[in-house]
Amino acid sequence: MDINTKILKKNAFRVTKERGMTASRIRVPGGHLDAKYLSQIQHIAETFGNGTVHITSRQGFEIPGIPFEKMPEVNAALQSLIDGLEINQDEVGCGYPAAGTRNITACVGNRVCPFACYDTTALAQRIEKAVFPNDLHFKIALTGCPNDCAKVRMHDFGIMGMTVPHLESDRCVSCGACVKACKKKSVEALKPVNFRPQRDERRCIGCGECVLACPNAAWTRSEKKYYRLTLLGRTGKKNPRLGEDFIKWVDEDSIIKIILNTYDYVKEYIDPNAPGGKEHIGYIVDRTGFEEFKRWALRDVTLPEIAEVMTPMYWKGITY
Amino acid sequence: MGFHITDMQLNVLFQTWQTNYHIYAPRNFSGGGRFSDTDCIRYGKIEHADEIVFDKKSDYSFKEVLTPVSQTLFFFTEGQTKEADFPQKGAVIFLRSCDLYALKRLDDMYLHNSPADYYYQHLRDNIKIVLMGCEHSFENCFCVSMGTNVSTKYDMSIDRQPDGTYLVDCKDEAWVKQLVQAGCEQQEVIPAHVTENQVTVQVPENLTAEVAKSTMWEEYNSRCINCGRCNFVCPTCTCFTMQDLFYSENGKVGERRRIWASCMVDGFTDVAGGGSYRKKNGERMRFKVLHKVLDYKQRNGYHMCVGCGRCDDICPEYISFSGCINKLQSAMTEVTEQ
Amino acid sequence: MMKNDYIPFPSKILEVIRHTKIEYTFRMEFQGDVKPGQFFEVSIPKYGEAPISVSGIGDNFVDLTIRRVGKVTNEVFEHYVGDTLLLRGPYGNGFDVSDYAGKDIIVMAGGTGLSPVRGVVDYFFNHPEQRGHMTLIAGFKTSHDILFRNDLKLWKKNMDIILTVDCAEEDVACHVGLVTQYIPQIKLDNVQNTVAVVVGPPAMMRFSVQGLLDIGLPEENVWISQERKMCCGLGKCGHCKIGDTYVCLDGPVFNYTKGKFLVD
Repeated sequence: MDINTKILKKNAFRVTKERGMTASRIRVPGGHLDAKYLSQIQHIAETFGNGTVHITSRQGFEIPGIPFEKMPEVNAALQSLIDGLEINQDEVGCGYPAAGTRNITACVGNRVCPFACYDTTALAQRIEKAVFPNDLHFKIALTGCPNDCAKVRMHDFGIMGMTVPHLESDRCVSCGACVKACKKKSVEALKPVNFRPQRDERRCIGCGECVLACPNAAWTRSEKKYYRLTLLGRTGKKNPRLGEDFIKWVDEDSIIKIILNTYDYVKEYIDPNAPGGKEHIGYIVDRTGFEEFKRWALRDVTLPEIAEVMTPMYWKGITY
Repeated sequence: MGFHITDMQLNVLFQTWQTNYHIYAPRNFSGGGRFSDTDCIRYGKIEHADEIVFDKKSDYSFKEVLTPVSQTLFFFTEGQTKEADFPQKGAVIFLRSCDLYALKRLDDMYLHNSPADYYYQHLRDNIKIVLMGCEHSFENCFCVSMGTNVSTKYDMSIDRQPDGTYLVDCKDEAWVKQLVQAGCEQQEVIPAHVTENQVTVQVPENLTAEVAKSTMWEEYNSRCINCGRCNFVCPTCTCFTMQDLFYSENGKVGERRRIWASCMVDGFTDVAGGGSYRKKNGERMRFKVLHKVLDYKQRNGYHMCVGCGRCDDICPEYISFSGCINKLQSAMTEVTEQ
Repeated sequence: MMKNDYIPFPSKILEVIRHTKIEYTFRMEFQGDVKPGQFFEVSIPKYGEAPISVSGIGDNFVDLTIRRVGKVTNEVFEHYVGDTLLLRGPYGNGFDVSDYAGKDIIVMAGGTGLSPVRGVVDYFFNHPEQRGHMTLIAGFKTSHDILFRNDLKLWKKNMDIILTVDCAEEDVACHVGLVTQYIPQIKLDNVQNTVAVVVGPPAMMRFSVQGLLDIGLPEENVWISQERKMCCGLGKCGHCKIGDTYVCLDGPVFNYTKGKFLVD
């Protein structure tokens, strides 16, 4: 059997431990899809695979037990999923054009969750459109609020929803619900002054607990949506670590620009001898220094007025 | 007198009103809901008819027009006091039948329960009422059970038609004159009203305060989170608390205001020295429910609750006020058979 | 123009009588009809208002006995003679001494509860001919908390005084124990012709009234006064409502036949 494993990997198939067998990996940007696509996944698994499906840790599906020779047929069968999930594709019928940049994950977001500050799925899909296909190893995740159910701090780019709470003070009834909620569930950024909550802007993490707690619609959310962008968290053998805050109160457009700029930066500085052409961005930043990264990342980016850029940045993490 | 008027004719009427009145109506506050990308419908000033939300129930009632959430009573300086100014203009208020009945309750509370309230009276004296018809009942409404589904004491009624025109029944003579002069099409108009709701309640005939002893209140100890939303959205809740604001360090310059209070929220009954009454949420629920359907009637001769169902609409814990009323009968049986 | 009942009037502090570390009586300039048991809203612009019951009445003054408990009452202690406080009132019904005329009278007071009934006791001290036998049982936490010491000494001249504290200390010239323990010591001739006034914390009132009913007093001969958060004093704010009753309008003094139905 003669198979180019480099090509099949790029095509979102896997070299498995079982010789001659592969697994097909299906992207589901934002982890949300119409239920009708599940039957197609079932069909592929039962027709070409071993009849099982793995739900991946990145919110995709992996269909194992597929003989290598079935890959063209699987790619043809994947077309309805690729079309339906609006995945960018170079050539119809040939499956996924890349696998380096991983599926963009997201918590359930404000389509369902009361805490979420935005529609995580929609933004995940927008980012997917902007960055895919790409062979570089980027991990991007989105979460609706600072609870970070999506564990975005373990990703290269973590996107956390925020809202700027606004108090219409004449609607405040001094019930103290917001102060209590902020203290017990969040960061204690509110304190009562003259019977009404006073917000410590520096402390506030934009979680929206005050808005949720307010019984009289005195606190409302900002019309614009804001995000906390965390950088360069990672798992792995060398030095796993949590992503650190890069920009607080950043907007969607800037996030996308920063990610795209980072692709350029990585192309420039990636270790040409990196195994499999794959190197976590964090190691590259360790090499070039953070300032050089920042210079690239913020190129042509116009941040909102309230945005706060953290600089310099340091990471800790585990070393062995 | 009834008229069938166009959007333009209505807006011309609005323009004349605005010389002497602010127009208050339920309007959509986009993004103003608790959750992200949700709206809030509540009262606000409007200028054009298309700002009025006709097809949904407002989350909060009209009462904030007459009893502002936060109302400055007077300013003080060195032992002198100066009354806060009142708005120059009166108010044209758009509201539904249930809320018009709630207005009577506000009047009885503020004007007739001992001396008339100076501030309420002032605002009350200069309002006009526009009754918004109800094509159909909304979720949780039980106006028919409370007898508040039909109103006649309005200055004008309004029903938006599917084609964007309006049917109005005008009782205010000056407005009638204006509509006639504007050549508006005359026809007989009866404001739309509902004759049945999906939700019905039955306040037991034999209800007494004895029902306080029932075990029915216990479930609310844990279910209720005493947030007070039910009170704040209620068109008949009137409780308030005084606050003194202080502008200067020496304590001699400032203002006194009153703000809405809730009998469900901690602190409502606190007395000096740390005492308080009704510590359990079930006791607060009982206090509120019995005020609405028992003891207000003992004092005023008719029930306080108007059946708008806003308390049910807003409760984050899905506690139903109407559901609670309907438990009172068996609770009475429970306490009388003991 | 209608009257604005929310605007307070300034009243001069004529005298400050210190009872304990935390309880003072402020003698405030006031002319007008007022009854013992009624209350004023004492208003200090920096802090707000507190309902304070009238503990004494004179030709040109009312006494307001204020305990340093809430944040409002703390501030009053910083004011002294010659200064003014802002008042609204009087509010509420108060005690009607004619209800007790010609009767044997029992007064049971717990702590600051002695303030609202002080006027009643003082009246019948000065007019012993208008009553039969009179007994005052006054209970306090400790001997340091005793209010109106001078009055208590004075009143002894023509009535029975039983002064008791919850816990014993050295200098105890008084009894130890709860007021209810001393009900059996009350000199009783004819329960039908005996009236009682009970004021104090909720539990003290409950057990005291029960004790009095147990020795045969008819319910209609017992009066109580309720302490509630009376924010406006005008029957509007709702804080003092109990059932269909507004304590600020219909009380704070209630005949027990009505008071017993007040369930918080």
